[in-house]
Amino acid sequence: MANKFFLEIITPEKTFYRGEVESIHIPSVGGACTVLAGHQPMVFATEPGALRITADGKTREAFMSEGFIEVRPDETIAFAQAVEWPEDINERRAAEAKERAEEQMRRNRSAAEYRLNRAALQRAFARLQVKHHKNDAD
Amino acid sequence: MADITEIRHRIKSIRDTHQITKAMELISVAKMRKSMTKQSFSSAYFDSVRYTLKDILRHSTDLRNKYVLPRRDNRTAYVVIAGDKGLAGAFNSNVLGLAWRHMQSRPVHYVVTIGQMARAFFESKQQTVDLEFTHAVANPTLHDARGIMRDLLDLYDRNLMDEIYIVFTRMHSTAEQTPVMVKLLPIEEKDIELDVKSTYTGEICYDPSPAEVLNVLVPQYLIGMIYSALIHSSASEHAARMLAMSNANRNAEKMLDTLDLEYNRLRQSAITSELLDLTSGKFFSENSLRQKANRHGKSW
Repeated sequence: MANKFFLEIITPEKTFYRGEVESIHIPSVGGACTVLAGHQPMVFATEPGALRITADGKTREAFMSEGFIEVRPDETIAFAQAVEWPEDINERRAAEAKERAEEQMRRNRSAAEYRLNRAALQRAFARLQVKHHKNDAD
Repeated sequence: MADITEIRHRIKSIRDTHQITKAMELISVAKMRKSMTKQSFSSAYFDSVRYTLKDILRHSTDLRNKYVLPRRDNRTAYVVIAGDKGLAGAFNSNVLGLAWRHMQSRPVHYVVTIGQMARAFFESKQQTVDLEFTHAVANPTLHDARGIMRDLLDLYDRNLMDEIYIVFTRMHSTAEQTPVMVKLLPIEEKDIELDVKSTYTGEICYDPSPAEVLNVLVPQYLIGMIYSALIHSSASEHAARMLAMSNANRNAEKMLDTLDLEYNRLRQSAITSELLDLTSGKFFSENSLRQKANRHGKSW
């Protein structure tokens, strides 16, 4: 039995997750990595991507937009603008957002705009990816 | 007798106004409660963002982030948040007055308004409004805050201003709201106020680096500040309106009472004088009949 730690996932709208977990896999800016119990206290910046939570031997995947994850000795807290389970992701909206972002990418005017569009594209892409993983599993 | 119709008119109009103010009070109560619950949802998130940001600023001294470094200090941008509508007591004039007074001490200033009343105020003062957001006040969403943050950062990136202040009304309780001014950019450690204390105070590593984490945090921090300012402002507006409307209700009730009394008194006196007319008329006609009869009797 793996060691457990307490995980909380908070978005501005709600507390998305609270509970004991064995590990989480996070889309960190410095590269994807996995946090287990007893991790060194750390703060990770994350980019939009798939978050995998393993609790009681079962792994679930969720979409997580840009945010950060704070690993403390007593608990781990993830903060993100949006976190969604695959069943809550609106696939059509994500696909539309992806097309829109791609269209914008083609004619972006400034560096700032490029960054914005890239982040939007990244979000749409991650949402679709999480959604499709779920569909494949079913 | 013209009085009585006039009073009836006034009673009717006051009653109608009363109905409106009553409805407005109820609406304000509901809306205030709604924005306060929203605030409590988001505060956990943004408190932690503030805490982490402060922690990074405190422990990492060699940060070269452009949002942290101070600039020359004479071009100031003001983000002023007021309501879309009046009828909220002194709510709008308090916050606008504070912004206006501070602005006079600055050689160069830009004005960004959020809400119709703010724009109208600066137009009446002959102060050009550089940027305005009109939809964010009535029902602030994270999406609005994100849009405002993006535009502000864009202006700041183009080096048009040295510092950005946000002026809004902070809600302490339903009875007490105060206008406040908070510095948004550049971010300084001492400007970040904390409502929470973290349970862990040891040293924390940042991955990939404090500067990278800071890059992610700064927009989040700004969104949080703007969002909470919007929500505080809208909750304050509704609280102020609620108070103003409950005063209006009380006044209307008082006026209705006195007018009702006056109306009844006038009506009573009208009836009395009418009765008097009738009886005196009857008395007169009876008298004249009798006199006629007497006269006839004599002549017969």
